[in-house]
Amino acid sequence: MSMLRKRALVAALLAMACACAVAGTSAPPSQNRHTTRKQPATASATAEGEKRFRAHCGRCHNPPEDLSAREARAVVRQMRVRAMLSAEDEKLILEYLAP
Amino acid sequence: MGFQILNSAPRGNRGVASRSFATKMSLRMLACVCLLCSSALATPAQSDVPVISGGVGFLGTSQGGITFFQPTIAPVVALPIGDHVLIEGRATFEEFIAKQNGETGPYHGHFFDTADYLQLDYSVNSRLTLVFGRFLTPFNIYDERLSPIWIHNLQDVPIIFVIGTRTGGSNDGVMARGALLARDSYEVNYTVYYSASNLANNAETHFGSARAAGGRAGVFFPRKRLELGGSYQRYMQDTHMNVSGAYVSWQPYSAPLDVKGEYAHSLSGEGYWLEAAYRLSRFGGPDSAIGRLSPVARVQQFFRNQQVPGDLLPSVNTQQVDFGLNYYLPHEIRLSGSYGREFSSLRNENVWNFAVTYRFLFPAWPGGSR
Repeated sequence: MSMLRKRALVAALLAMACACAVAGTSAPPSQNRHTTRKQPATASATAEGEKRFRAHCGRCHNPPEDLSAREARAVVRQMRVRAMLSAEDEKLILEYLAP
Repeated sequence: MGFQILNSAPRGNRGVASRSFATKMSLRMLACVCLLCSSALATPAQSDVPVISGGVGFLGTSQGGITFFQPTIAPVVALPIGDHVLIEGRATFEEFIAKQNGETGPYHGHFFDTADYLQLDYSVNSRLTLVFGRFLTPFNIYDERLSPIWIHNLQDVPIIFVIGTRTGGSNDGVMARGALLARDSYEVNYTVYYSASNLANNAETHFGSARAAGGRAGVFFPRKRLELGGSYQRYMQDTHMNVSGAYVSWQPYSAPLDVKGEYAHSLSGEGYWLEAAYRLSRFGGPDSAIGRLSPVARVQQFFRNQQVPGDLLPSVNTQQVDFGLNYYLPHEIRLSGSYGREFSSLRNENVWNFAVTYRFLFPAWPGGSR
């Protein structure tokens, strides 16, 4: 692969990331993050999930912005392995990120 | 000076050998990920959607009069399959731009690509997950938890990072990990692994994997957000050696403070780093102009025991202190700047860093965000 093609690859990936960032910030509120989707029936589970998130994930980073329920499942699955979450932690954090 | 540049650069720049092999490996990895995403596309009815996340950034460093720049992107792909299987991978693509002769001459760029990990995770139960493939070396916490450019508080990797992660921080093999005990007041986590050597193994290539076995165990106290742990590795490639380490991570609830540190020991020597960051969120909240600011400081020392070829560590005892400022802008953008001073019997020099980083996350195909 030539140097030019490598640079083009990096540029394309950068452009893709920027495009997705712009798309994400302009998404309608109904698709947006967990703070707008809390249901009364799951309020306690969500609160406990937030607590677990702060205890485990929040040690290194904040919750991602604009996370849909389907995305949240993949993200939490990944973090279960990375952060060695218990099954209960995984369930509650998912409840918090995607109630 | 070459060592200093390599030592201060992100993990992807630690070696410059095997470029063609590296490129081929990256392309293979990307091809695999694309293939997997394509196969997932064929089953849109599934509830989980693959996501692409990661960090993109532009880093600049001036060390001892030599200035270089690194535009970097490190995408992470996570592809859940069913309830038990997850395929995940991360690659790093970066350009290393520096003057041709160090301090003089025109700027030249060199492209680097790194397959950091590409692994299949099989969750057996809540206490055990089996990992197959190429994974980040679970030695202490920096490599696994802090290496993403949008996470670590200072852009320079610690001096002792390469102790326990000699093959660029990745291994090819099998790993078992999980939360062995999970109580309200404490949790015990563990990781054990075995990795084999591969044809690209040497101290410089970042696609290498050494024959090694090891593990890490930690105790986490959720109510204190305090974790203590230790690591061990038996390195069985070339010079056989035992490597050990310990780490601490503490983020008290009572203050927006983040304290992390590691100690590592090997045949080459031993050392530690200790870092503290304080978010000024008490001044108007975390979203205020001042509350977005986070000063950070780190002190580290390395004590050389004996020379071991290819260990990528300073040849003499070295100390370094760093002070930095991170500013967290909205939408996952962060501005960083730091100043460090390195002390050794060979030289004392300044290390300046600045960076703009952005954390992204989006579904692998349109419509996945609904």
